[in-house]
Amino acid sequence: MSVPPSDPVPAEALELRESASRERREKLSSFLSDWQAVAGLVLVVAFFASAIFAPWLAPYDPNAMDIPARMSGPSWDHIAGTDQLGRDTFSRILHGGRVALYIAAIGVSASLVVGLVLGMIAGYGPRWLDNLLLLLFDAVRSFPAVILALATVALTGPSLTVVLAIVIITTIPSYARVARTATMALRHTEFILAERSLGASTPRILFHHVMPNVIGPLLILAAMEVPVVVSIEAGLSFLGIGVLPPQASWGTILNEGYLVIRDTPWMVIAGGIPLILTTLGFTFLGEALRDLFDPRMGRGR
Amino acid sequence: MTLTRTTRRTFLTSTAAMAAAGLFPGGVGMLRAQEGRVLNLRLEGDNSILDPGYMVGGTEVEAQKQCLPFLAEYVRDGDTFSWQPTAYVTRLEYVDDTHIEFELAEGLVWSGGHGTLKASDVAYSYKRMKDSEWSGYFDALETVEVTGERTGTLVLNKPFAPFIMVTLCHGPGAIVCEAATEAAGGRFTTEFPAICGPYTYSATPGQRAVFERNPEWTGPAPGFDRVVCHVITEVQAAELAYEAGEIDCTELGPDSLARYSKQMPENTTITTAGQLQYMWMGMNTQHPKLQDIKVRQAIQHAVDVDSILAGAFAGTSTKSHGIVCPGLLGARSQTSYSYDPAKARALLDEAGVSGLELTLRTLNWQERLLTAQIIQANLAAVGITVNILPMESGPFWEMGMEEAGDTWQDLELWIMRYATVPDPYESTQWFVSEQVGIWNWERWTDPEFDRLYDEGLSETDEAKREEIYLRMQQIMEDTGAYVWINHEPEVYAHKTDIEVVAAPSGELNYHRFKPL
Repeated sequence: MSVPPSDPVPAEALELRESASRERREKLSSFLSDWQAVAGLVLVVAFFASAIFAPWLAPYDPNAMDIPARMSGPSWDHIAGTDQLGRDTFSRILHGGRVALYIAAIGVSASLVVGLVLGMIAGYGPRWLDNLLLLLFDAVRSFPAVILALATVALTGPSLTVVLAIVIITTIPSYARVARTATMALRHTEFILAERSLGASTPRILFHHVMPNVIGPLLILAAMEVPVVVSIEAGLSFLGIGVLPPQASWGTILNEGYLVIRDTPWMVIAGGIPLILTTLGFTFLGEALRDLFDPRMGRGR
Repeated sequence: MTLTRTTRRTFLTSTAAMAAAGLFPGGVGMLRAQEGRVLNLRLEGDNSILDPGYMVGGTEVEAQKQCLPFLAEYVRDGDTFSWQPTAYVTRLEYVDDTHIEFELAEGLVWSGGHGTLKASDVAYSYKRMKDSEWSGYFDALETVEVTGERTGTLVLNKPFAPFIMVTLCHGPGAIVCEAATEAAGGRFTTEFPAICGPYTYSATPGQRAVFERNPEWTGPAPGFDRVVCHVITEVQAAELAYEAGEIDCTELGPDSLARYSKQMPENTTITTAGQLQYMWMGMNTQHPKLQDIKVRQAIQHAVDVDSILAGAFAGTSTKSHGIVCPGLLGARSQTSYSYDPAKARALLDEAGVSGLELTLRTLNWQERLLTAQIIQANLAAVGITVNILPMESGPFWEMGMEEAGDTWQDLELWIMRYATVPDPYESTQWFVSEQVGIWNWERWTDPEFDRLYDEGLSETDEAKREEIYLRMQQIMEDTGAYVWINHEPEVYAHKTDIEVVAAPSGELNYHRFKPL
């Protein structure tokens, strides 16, 4: 018995596959030739790695006090110096990165998902629902995050959960508006009309056909939003309405450093550097990804 | 003609230069804020209630001292304080143990056409204080007898020698104009209904309070024509303002005090007002988790106060052994407990307590948060988990008051600091049985303590008074509800060419400042 020969791959398909592969290579090459993109990627990887492996990388327990060594400058024992209670600043920065990562990961993911769903509903649903959701998005956007945080903390007390909630609530409209616009552009396209004429349900159309076409820009937006979210967390912690003591966060390190800046500037320097690098890293990476996948929005080359 | 154009680059350059100037004290030279006869000072926050009967205290007392009459004022006597009659009186003296006669100076007038300062204003003011929120200061006063237009007698209900120091020199001793106060409805808030003092008062909320020379004032001229008190909430920001030459005098935080002590900035000197503050960690004796005295005693033994003094206060404050401040009658030199983690663990074992989790509430100020974190680490070492709850001052000061809600029921641990006056009576008044649910947040009562409080008021023998206050503090300590922390000094840095006058509890008296 002989096995029937498989159908030969059509030449057009081969060409398409080749074309896609060539496009990927070009994009990768373009990405790697952009120093900002590479720097952004390196910084982002460093951020994730230092945060995830902080318990192993930190030379000291971030909360271990050594009061006789308080406010000392950089040395071989403490490369970023110590704070007012003699705690190792470098260890606290590494552990503070975990707070930033936690807020960024959970906050951005949650607001992306909720924003995506609400945006698709607004863009695909009836006009009155679109207007209602737009009003809601604009109302949330018009409320400054810090004021919302202060009001919330007055009722609940400061905590990381409050920070997370504030981050999610205040960033949802950004994703929702992008998702809405993209959905509106898709709702009258032929393939969506075809699905509708075949009797596909609205959830099926939204999640099987609209979402794959909308998610790309949202992921780029998410990369751009990470530094915003990290800054919100640091800002709220700086104001004393974020993480609770003794937990380290870049914002609390900056706040404590600012109070003793004339005695020792190292806490402010050490607390500020990771915040700056993380912000730069995600911004560079986000811009590079945007240029790569949506060249119309990018820098002119 | 050259046009000056502001570009993004020039803006950033200028901003960076200004920031650098602020960061490096002395780098651009300390500018001079005190020009002509204007004094620039710091105000912690807006004065919300100037009425002596309903004030919060602090800077409101400072405003009262510039605009309202007082019969007596503090005067520094070496390292201690005594009192002297003010310019408002020509005579103020004890004629016996329970009678203080006074005679007001002639020709002192109230603003707004309310006539001259009269003895009836004194009687009116002190009578209304006995019914006010600050009535505790007038427990010993029976009445004020008006014997003439400018003369009268303060009649005490028991011999109480410190009455002048405790009450008349302090904020509650302010005299208000009867006619103007009644016309204002009997109480006032952000404006004085009438003034009679060296300065007038005006304020721009959130920005400044301004004291200008009162043209109607006939008493001794103040040292400066104008005093501008800038609202600067953070003490660290005030220190920067001082070093930049924006203000002439500022309170110093512990770390800055340590730094100034090592290297004093140019043209600067330090004045210590006193250390009439006492800080402690309190425990709610009625809370289910803390009802067992062995648990409270374990906490007393678990806290390393010396580490707190070094870590949170840079070694600039005095260790506390009770509520009576150093230098006062009844100040203690030791406690009956000491830092002993092993004993703390043993006491917890005896109480059969394990896995205890407590909430420590504190004001969200830097030194308090550092103190709380050291306590948290100390208690963790004996197996007690502490969650720190930083709070704004509004809810913090209400949390133990029954009339302000139900938070008092949840109170477990808190860090508290009170200011006091140069007599031990004042600091004991907040812990009598009547104060449970008001200021006695530890919520214990003791008949002996209440009896000793009354005896302390009327006792004139100093040795016996000292015994009374020593015993009262021992009773407090034996409840296990207190870990005494420190007595913080009120320290001011100021230009060498001005003389600063402050009350022992730290309030500044601007009209007694002098240019040197």
